[in-house]
Order: sequence, then C-alpha cells, then structure tokens
Amino acid sequence: MLPPGVNQKDFSDALKQFEEAVGKEWVFTSDEDVALYRDAYSPFWGEPEERVASAAVAPYTVEQVQAVMKTANEYKIPVYPISTGKNLGYGGSAPNLSGSVVLDLKRMNRILDVSERNHSALVEPGVSYFDLYRYIQERKLKVWVDVPDPGWGSPIGNALDHGGGYLRSEFRVHFDSHCGMEVVLANGDLLRTGMGAMPGAQTWQQYKFGFGPWIDGMFSQSNFGVVTKMGLWLMPEPDAYLTGTVTVPKYDDLIPMVDVLTFLENSGISNGMPNLGSPILGGFMMPPRAPEVTAMLERGGVQSAELHKYAQDKGIPFWNCTVKFYGPEKAIRAQWEYAQEKFSAISGAKFQDGEFYKLPLTPEQFNKVHKPEFGIPSLEMFSIGARSPYNPTPTNGHIWFSPIIPRTGEAILEANKVFSQAAKDYGLPLLSFSLPSTYWTRSFIFLFGFPITHDVATNKKNRETFKKVVRVAADHGWGEYRTAPAFQDEVMATYSFNNHALRRFHETVKDAVDPNGIISAGRYGIWPKHLRGTKA
Amino acid sequence: MASRREFLQAGIAASVLPIAVARNTLAPIEGGDRVAFYKVIFDGRFPASVAFGEEWKARGAAVHAIRGDITDLWFHDLDLQWKKQPVAIAGLTAHGPLFCLERLAWDHGMRVISRVEQPSRDGDGQPLISWVISPKEPAPKERA
Repeated sequence: MLPPGVNQKDFSDALKQFEEAVGKEWVFTSDEDVALYRDAYSPFWGEPEERVASAAVAPYTVEQVQAVMKTANEYKIPVYPISTGKNLGYGGSAPNLSGSVVLDLKRMNRILDVSERNHSALVEPGVSYFDLYRYIQERKLKVWVDVPDPGWGSPIGNALDHGGGYLRSEFRVHFDSHCGMEVVLANGDLLRTGMGAMPGAQTWQQYKFGFGPWIDGMFSQSNFGVVTKMGLWLMPEPDAYLTGTVTVPKYDDLIPMVDVLTFLENSGISNGMPNLGSPILGGFMMPPRAPEVTAMLERGGVQSAELHKYAQDKGIPFWNCTVKFYGPEKAIRAQWEYAQEKFSAISGAKFQDGEFYKLPLTPEQFNKVHKPEFGIPSLEMFSIGARSPYNPTPTNGHIWFSPIIPRTGEAILEANKVFSQAAKDYGLPLLSFSLPSTYWTRSFIFLFGFPITHDVATNKKNRETFKKVVRVAADHGWGEYRTAPAFQDEVMATYSFNNHALRRFHETVKDAVDPNGIISAGRYGIWPKHLRGTKA
Repeated sequence: MASRREFLQAGIAASVLPIAVARNTLAPIEGGDRVAFYKVIFDGRFPASVAFGEEWKARGAAVHAIRGDITDLWFHDLDLQWKKQPVAIAGLTAHGPLFCLERLAWDHGMRVISRVEQPSRDGDGQPLISWVISPKEPAPKERA
C-alpha cells in the first residue's frame, strides 16, 4: 500500500531516508509487521474502509524523530505518531488515514527524572505506566502515578487523549496533571512548552504556563506536533485510605445526593474517585438485580410506582454513593464524619464504613484491592467475563460511546430517559438504568460499549447506530469526550457553534503549523487542506 | 529493548518446540529431553488448563499459574525477562490472557506462532486456546 497521493518512487526514497535516520531494522514494511498496527477493535474489521498503515518507523531519539519528520515533510508522507499504541476502544494504533506511516515511539522509553521532593516526573512517550511504576518501586520513592485501567498504556499517550485515572481528584484528569512538554513539529523543528522554553530553566515540571499563551492543549487530541517528552505531576504517597458509603431511600434522592457529593468533591473534602450505584437496580460491582425487579422495570421503567413501592416495602435503598479519602488517618476520618453530616440532610440517609488501609498496603491487602486506586497498573480487567446477549463475542472488542453530561442528578435521570428512548428507536438492547462514571469532579461521563463483531453487516449497522446516538446526545447538549477515528468527523461536527468556528480555527492552525498536512491527517476531525471536504 | 538480532538469536533455541505443540497441544514434546519454553502458562480456573500445566510440569517445564489476570506474571517475570532477552512461552488459557500477552510480546519482537482452539470452554463459553509465543522467524531479506 502507498500513502495517498504519494508515488512509489517518492515512497521508496522516503523509506530509505527513514532507514538512514533510525536504522534499517526499525523501519517496518512487511505485511506481517504492518498488520500489528491494525486496530484490534476496528469497527471496520475486514472491510475495505478499515484504516490501515502502509509502513511503520520506530525512532529511538528525538533527533531521529526530527529527521523522520523532515523527510516526511519533504516527500509529503502522512505519518501517524503513537506512543505505546494501546488505546483500545478508541482506535488502537491504526491511523485515521489509510496509508499513513505509523511513527511508533515505543523505543523512546526513557524515564528522565522522577522527583520525590517535587512529586513529578519527566518521561518519553514509549514509557508505559508499568515502566514508571517499576521505576518508582525499585527506588522506594514515596510517590504514586495515577494510572488508567487497564494500565499498559503510556502516560503521555493517555494524557494527550484526555484519559482519566483513579487517585485524588487533582491527578485523575491526566492532561490536567501534566506539566510541560517537548514537541517535534511537522518541519522537524523542536519546541518546549511552559518553563521548558527557557534554556536552563529549573522549573519545567513545576510551573506549567511559562510566558505568553499556554499552548499545551493544542497538542492534545490533535495533529499539530509529535510530543517527545512530557512532565507529570505525581501524588505523594498518602498515610491512609478510607471509604464510606451512604444510601438514600427514594428515587428522587439522587438529586440531593449528587449535589452533596459535588460539594464535597469541589471543597476537597472527598478527594478520591466516588462510585454511584443503585442497590435496587443492581449493576456493575453491585449485587445482582432481583428477577421481580427486572420484571417491574420491563413493565413500567425505572419510574414505575410499582418498583418504588417494592423498594420501600423491602427496605432496599434506591441509591448509594461510596466516597473515598486519601490522607492522614485523623484527617480522613474527620472528612468522612463531615461527609456524613452533609449527606444527613437527605431524609433516610444511612451510612456504612468501608475499607480502611494504612499505607503502604500489606501483601494481603495488595491482592484484594482495586489496584488503580492505589497507583498500581493492572491488566485484571481483561480477565473479567463480558459475554452477554448484547455482546455475544466480547473478544472482538468494543468501541466506547462516552458523552459528557452535567454533574447533577437531574441530568442522570434525563440522560437515561433519552438513551433508553434511543435504544428503543434504534433496536439496541434496553438498558434499565445506567449510572455515570466520576473521573472528573465538574461533570459526569457515561461509558456505553458498542460491541464489535467480525460480521460486516452487524458492524455496519452498529456504526450507523453509533452515529445516530452521537447526534441524539448532541441534540441534548451532551458531547463526546473522545472517540475512535471512525467517528471523529461526526463528533467534531457536533461541536458546531457559530458555523463550526472551533473546527475552522483548528484548520487554520493546522494549515499554519503543518502546511503539508503530514501529521495524523483527520485526527479528531482535523483534516489538512488537501484532504478537507473529501474525508470529513 | 532488545535489538532485532537478539530477537533472532533467541528464536533459534525455541524454534523446534512450537511445531510439536501445534500438533498436539496437551501432549509433552515427543522425544524432547529438554523444554525450551521459558514458562508454560495455565489458568487454575479451568480443569483442562490445569491438566495442561501439570503435564508440562511433569516434563520438567517451569509452569506459572494464573487466574485470568496476567499482571503479576507480566510485571514480576516476563517484562523483566523479555527486556533482557525475548524467550518463548506457551500456554492454554482463555482469550483475555492471550490477547494481553500477544500484544506485550509484539513490543519485544515476538509473535504468536501457534494458536489452536480447544474443545474446553472458559467462563464465557468461549473455547480455551493453546498457544505459543516465540521470537519471530527472520524475514527472508534479513537472512541475507
């Protein structure tokens, strides 16, 4: 396969120059090698539209990245940088534009600094969460890295894609907790952001903004440069960890319960990632739902008077919320006590103490906890069975529909109504009720998995349905936070204020910083000028 | 990360074994006095996989039990070993552990060179898979 718009001679010449830059053994052109960059969860699996690479090149140093970019720019070869290339459910390693050369940065796996005094790190894109965790453990440093789940990806890649984790709120938004980056531009030029722009600066990982416009955000979910270093803020290892659960009895209690939770989080009282649940409706990590409840849900939905009476008669609370605390034991016990005071404003609220660990964990505790909540990367989720009537072939993967909704109980109820109706309209399995995830403290996010099959017709139907629910969400003011390349144009199109002013601005920047349009064409809906309108 | 040359050298030691495994996944290697797999992985949740592990252990192989999750195996063993030198492993597991190990192995220039669905099933009703991960064979152009 040739990159689009590139003739065989130019491609061959460019590959030769890539080989001169990085070494022959690190330029991959065989079908077998290039196939490794397919998206294992591609919604186009086996179809002509599946996005596939033409080759891959794996530099070892930033100088080699610069050399590769200069060559790519000269020959107008589209390149698609990846860090460790996991990103399952959001596109894997596969490019938006078929025929792109994957710029595989896995060999750039140096941990350049971890400061225990300032709780920060400086890493390259090929460093994985496991690598950074090992580095910290081997040196017995008292810092934690906030890891996603699963944790085999790259801190840089995850931050750039706006991924989230499980520790204290100020670390859970991984892009928010980065500090400074180094970027290779399309022409091979090298820049550093924040304090890194000052030669000899002592504070690259301590002060984000440097001087002048803060441009780091322009390199996240974008295609304006190749990030080759990033600073990360780490969490000081806390003394202890505590959880507590509040239950509230009535359907409408969700609204004040969420309000109290939001107050506690935005006040810094509850600083761990909370969980919302429903003892009556069941769900993930909850006891199984009673069969009679399922029958009532099918008859009358979640607002059924019959269901509410059943819950009251049985004394089963409608909702619960587990709040989590990191810090000194005295402080977090006081924080939990204060949280109970605030939740007590809801009539019928009851409380239960949860887990308490003095840290570090003992080996026995280590084996039973949800590891990401302790800064420990894990692959455990791949061992969880996921087969269901809705997803008969979970091994083929999934794509995530992940809209951001307001952080209110009303929004949870409204979103459930809207998505249940969409499920009926589009023939999806009905979800009785879903509760959002709480990675961010200022908004909620729903994560709905759409199954991938290896059946072309089914995948086609699912893709069309996915696009419809993106539109349904947008019609209610709820936008996707991230999506697979197959849907990035559709999602970007929903951010359409003032005749797509944001996308037009992205395109203006793209044309200025990458006039040949070689970096990640189409990523997050940003197409270079020569492809604009033909792809989007 | 090991160089491609190191991958190829490691491949020589393991190259005869996977073929035997592909022919008969549960049987010990016919006529083999030494086991060149660095580790043989089995899943303690599934009787067929346990039997597989026991059979290999009886033949002198170093076996490692998992219960679906390969994190411990990866972090405390394979990651360290494969950074030094990629070496072959084999197993009989559900899809999930193989999916993870295969992708982690790619980063060390290794490939799944045998993958056979077995009659026994995992907790999702999917077939267990016997497999071999090995340093990849040299491509023709690299032999020259």
